[in-house]
Amino acid sequence: MEVSFSKEIESLRLKSGETFHGEGILAITKALLQSGVAYVGGYQGAPVSHLLDVMVQAKPYMDELGVHVEACSNEASAAAMLGASIHYPLRGAVTWKSIVGTNVAADALSNLSSPGVLGGALIVVGEDYGEGASVIQERTHAYALKSTMCLLDPRPDLGKMVEMVEHGFRLSETSNMPAILELRIRACHVRGSFECKDNQPPAISKRQLMEEPAAFDYAKLAHPPVTFRHEKLKTEERIPAARRYIVEQQLNELMDGPRKDLGIIVQGGIYNSLIRALQQFGLCDAFGQSEIPLLVLNVTYPLVPEQVAGFALGKRAVLVVEEGQPEYIEQEIATFLRRRDINTPLHGKDMLPMGGEYSVEVVAAGLAAFVARYAADVDTNSATGWLQGNAERRNAVGTQIAAQLNQPLPVRPPGFCIGCPERPVFSALKLAQQDVGPVHIAADIGCHAFGTFAPFSFGHSILGYGMSLASRAGVSPMMARRTLSIMGDGGFWHNGLLTGVQSALFNGDDAVLLIFKNGYTSATGTQDIISTPSDDAKFNASDKLQSLTATNTTIEKTLTGLGIQWLRTVHTYEVEEMRQTLNEAFTTDFNGLKVIIAEGECQLERQRRIKPWLAGLLKNGKRVVRVKYGVDEDICNGDHACIRLSGCPTLTLKDNPDPLKVDPVATVIDGCVGCGLCGANAHAATLCPSFYRAEVIQNPNWHERLLGSVRGALVRAMQTT
Amino acid sequence: MNMNQQKPITLLICALGGEGGGVLTEWLVDIARASGYAAQSTSIPGVAQRTGATTYYLEVFPVPLADLGGKRPVFSLNPVPGALDGLISSELLETARQVGNGMASPQRTLVISSSSRTLTTAERMVPGDGRTDPAPLLQAIGAQSRATQVFDMGEMAKNCGTVVSAVMLGAIAGSGLLPFSRQAYEDAIRHGGRGAEASLRGFDRAFAQVNIQQAQTALVSRLLSEQELPASIIQGLEADLSHIFPAPVHEMLGLGHARMLEYQGPDYADLYVERLQQVLRAEQEADPAAAQGYATTREMARWLALWMAFDDIVRVADLKSSASRWQRVSGEVKAGADDLLQVYDHFKPGAPEFAALLPVKLAAHVTRWDRQRVARGKAPWALPLKIGTHSVFGMLSLRLLASLKWLRVRGSRFATEQSLIEQWLSGVVRGTQTHWQLGHEIALCGRLIKGYGSTNERGKDNLMHVLQHLATGATFASNDLRAAAIAQAREAALADEAGKALDQTLEQHGAPARPVKAQPIRWMENPHRKPRAARAS
Repeated sequence: MEVSFSKEIESLRLKSGETFHGEGILAITKALLQSGVAYVGGYQGAPVSHLLDVMVQAKPYMDELGVHVEACSNEASAAAMLGASIHYPLRGAVTWKSIVGTNVAADALSNLSSPGVLGGALIVVGEDYGEGASVIQERTHAYALKSTMCLLDPRPDLGKMVEMVEHGFRLSETSNMPAILELRIRACHVRGSFECKDNQPPAISKRQLMEEPAAFDYAKLAHPPVTFRHEKLKTEERIPAARRYIVEQQLNELMDGPRKDLGIIVQGGIYNSLIRALQQFGLCDAFGQSEIPLLVLNVTYPLVPEQVAGFALGKRAVLVVEEGQPEYIEQEIATFLRRRDINTPLHGKDMLPMGGEYSVEVVAAGLAAFVARYAADVDTNSATGWLQGNAERRNAVGTQIAAQLNQPLPVRPPGFCIGCPERPVFSALKLAQQDVGPVHIAADIGCHAFGTFAPFSFGHSILGYGMSLASRAGVSPMMARRTLSIMGDGGFWHNGLLTGVQSALFNGDDAVLLIFKNGYTSATGTQDIISTPSDDAKFNASDKLQSLTATNTTIEKTLTGLGIQWLRTVHTYEVEEMRQTLNEAFTTDFNGLKVIIAEGECQLERQRRIKPWLAGLLKNGKRVVRVKYGVDEDICNGDHACIRLSGCPTLTLKDNPDPLKVDPVATVIDGCVGCGLCGANAHAATLCPSFYRAEVIQNPNWHERLLGSVRGALVRAMQTT
Repeated sequence: MNMNQQKPITLLICALGGEGGGVLTEWLVDIARASGYAAQSTSIPGVAQRTGATTYYLEVFPVPLADLGGKRPVFSLNPVPGALDGLISSELLETARQVGNGMASPQRTLVISSSSRTLTTAERMVPGDGRTDPAPLLQAIGAQSRATQVFDMGEMAKNCGTVVSAVMLGAIAGSGLLPFSRQAYEDAIRHGGRGAEASLRGFDRAFAQVNIQQAQTALVSRLLSEQELPASIIQGLEADLSHIFPAPVHEMLGLGHARMLEYQGPDYADLYVERLQQVLRAEQEADPAAAQGYATTREMARWLALWMAFDDIVRVADLKSSASRWQRVSGEVKAGADDLLQVYDHFKPGAPEFAALLPVKLAAHVTRWDRQRVARGKAPWALPLKIGTHSVFGMLSLRLLASLKWLRVRGSRFATEQSLIEQWLSGVVRGTQTHWQLGHEIALCGRLIKGYGSTNERGKDNLMHVLQHLATGATFASNDLRAAAIAQAREAALADEAGKALDQTLEQHGAPARPVKAQPIRWMENPHRKPRAARAS
């Protein structure tokens, strides 16, 4: 795993009276333990990976409490895990990245919500929406609505978030509905504090086993005819029970203010943005005391009609601040008001943008329209001046840059790490396409998706995690050339094995699948999977510099067992061999599914293993070989073809030291891990002869030293000055 | 100010993935807590951790918690454009990007930025020079901030043996933006444990740097007004040459002449001088008053030298086997005195490289053999070599190759290059005679010639195409327009490898696009067609 959480694990043990300091998602993790959770599961993904990572690393402590932790194979399996709470009074929590993970989990969520739960079931989703998001901009809210699950959207204050976790379980138990707790990216990474409570070991747990299974109860199945009854229960019993709890426990916060004729209803998660926006108009102080009364919805589904209607009643206008589209909350509030014949003007998406993240500036712009219309006495000069100033500055810089650079600023998307084992495969693919012509490339989710950026720009579609092979099923029969599907081992186990491989085999499809076997789900933080090199393999490896993915052949065995007949495993850094293998796959007479396994261990994991090992060797005066590549500045031709074939961050440019030449030369900067790609590319693509591989032998053996000195003398004698 | 109107201090931190921005932010929150202030940080690392750009955001309430009477400030999770007190960034382009997003304001924001650049892939992959000019970036930053502090954080971190986050912390502390004592910052670093001493060094340097405001302002104005690179020292130019050529040409001439001597010998250097004299005469005719300062002859001295000293295996072997090269590599890889250094050079000479050294007739045989090979669907013949330059055998091989200068002038490549050089040269001379600017632009096209193998071939093809179809051919309303078209084509040829931009430019000026090169394609048959084919037969 990418990060060690030893410090965080310590904070999970904090007791009542102590203060937790740290990130939002870790506070949530602590809150789960304070709530007496009995089992935890999930699938990694930003921004909630840390929840599961910490739990997995804290296994000894979890065992102490009797809490079961499961790293699920995908979100569907995590959601299905919540089935434990249907019959038994077990509190369970699972986590994943939304919207994508919720999509995958949808089937189990429907079947969980229909019978309902006895033990509290909480789904913590990282709402990857807005700035920095890596997924489609859709709302989890729709799932809460369609499956009738509670949706919590707490104010991003650590204390409130923790409290809402605890309430979430009780709300779930009171209403028999599973509850979703959504956390936006910045809320997951917010650093703050809260006062801890003691952790609660669950009453039923791995240490306190149940003797007997529950009695058979057909009503607990999601199967007709009981599903028709469930449908009625949802509206007649569960939602009313949830609403009672929400009101009794005051989960939504009513924050009064002197301008009682106005009101703002806001999702809890957007509260801080709203407060800062109000401050720009002088309508709120630094501590959140607003002049306009606020109704802060820490629970955004179900809404409580009486609460909302009561808030709106008698006001001149109410503004709903709701992020994302469609405006489910605003529509529901409108219905509540209309049914009660309350004619308070309702505003929301007419003043605020339909889509996009509700940053302070965006909320302030909407607020400006609201204030101008309903609070003419408020001096808005400073706020509107600020908004206008922002626009003017952006414009001024844009114009200046465009005039002087003749182009916008170059972008800087994320990319493959230094020494990433996946980069060489894209180099080989670039070369292979020079041989066979361009091919349709079905891309996938994972680090390899960075191949869609410069200098490669490969990939025609991305249909979901592990979906690449399935997504070419309609393309390849229509295409003169063979198509290529790219998948990571993470995607393969998450989904690709079944949706892609099985389907292609069953249909006898002619397709080429390239699987990146780097050993981990690297993009989400290098979590282990079933094909991760074992701890034994890592411990026993005599040369820890080596890629160890070859030691685990679960993928190969699975594919062979499934009936794959054309299977090649190529080490990723062998660019020429990879190029030839790709060419063979594209041109062979074999018409079935061809699988190339690109095997090379995630460089992040390798470095994590190598660094302490090397440090230990050096400390003990043992022999260590350090490899770095370099470019001879007087031989480099300044054409940068090597960069167009690699894109490695350490292969960059510097001024040409030759005063006759003007174009910058390539250079390898510090940080090069000596992965070997520069050399492999130089050969495979016949690049210029400027690349060299330098091996620095620290603490050489005596015979090496002797040979070195003899050699050195002879070589020096031959060198020209 | 009334406490309720008191605003939080806001700081946006911009860093690249892996630079320790997360640790820096954690330090700042810890320092605030230890100092008794309410603070909050957020970040959006996401996949930006993989070498992309990312930001961290910090808010600190300037009144100590103890004086707040139990009240808690509500902080923003998003940085608010135009409402930042500080913006600190480890990379110049990213600073400019955030300034372009409207983050900094001239009324409020102190911008502390590194002057160092981590080039983006888009900038690095351009065949010519795709690096963004830093001057407009610095200008934008200066114009959109209350005060600016720019220095090379990367270099400072490197010199102190630490990471850039420690330097950034020092800069934040030195700026006095946050109400914490220096001691509090240093304590946080010490608690960090590993590498604390180096971090403290970096912290101290940056702290001092940011405190010296005047020096900073001077640096910015210097960077902004930075002109040409400092003129390099003119090498000892032979007396007779300095008589023949005017002073503005001397520097390039000296470098070029020395390159010819090193590359081949005195005769070849004389040929160089003779060729350059043709250009000089033409330029003196076209511009008798030397209003252009002999710019064409000076540039021609550069490009002619580079083309005449074309890269081949003899030259590469010579360069790779010099003592200075060994020292350079040794320094680059930081080999210690007790370490053993082994250097392997990657070569892959193909049939053309060997044919180059053979006489024309023999070379034609080799080339034909290789072409037939390719036509049969095989890859062109090439010999991948990994030669240990540290080994006796490796060095011996290189010295042997380097000694083949005598063979070079007898080889087929030499003849080809000289003929192309002559064509270009006469193009420059004739162009100059027609119109000074025209000759100048053709001379500058020498920049298209560089490198080895296909890169070199492509450059020569492009130059010859421009020479044939733009320098002559194609009709233009004036010679100025013709010269401008050539300049545009040159820039286009350097923009992308495939030459799309060049073809567009050519067509735009009424010249034909470059002919499509024959390239063997390995066909693959869609199996779904096979039954049909079988039926047909």
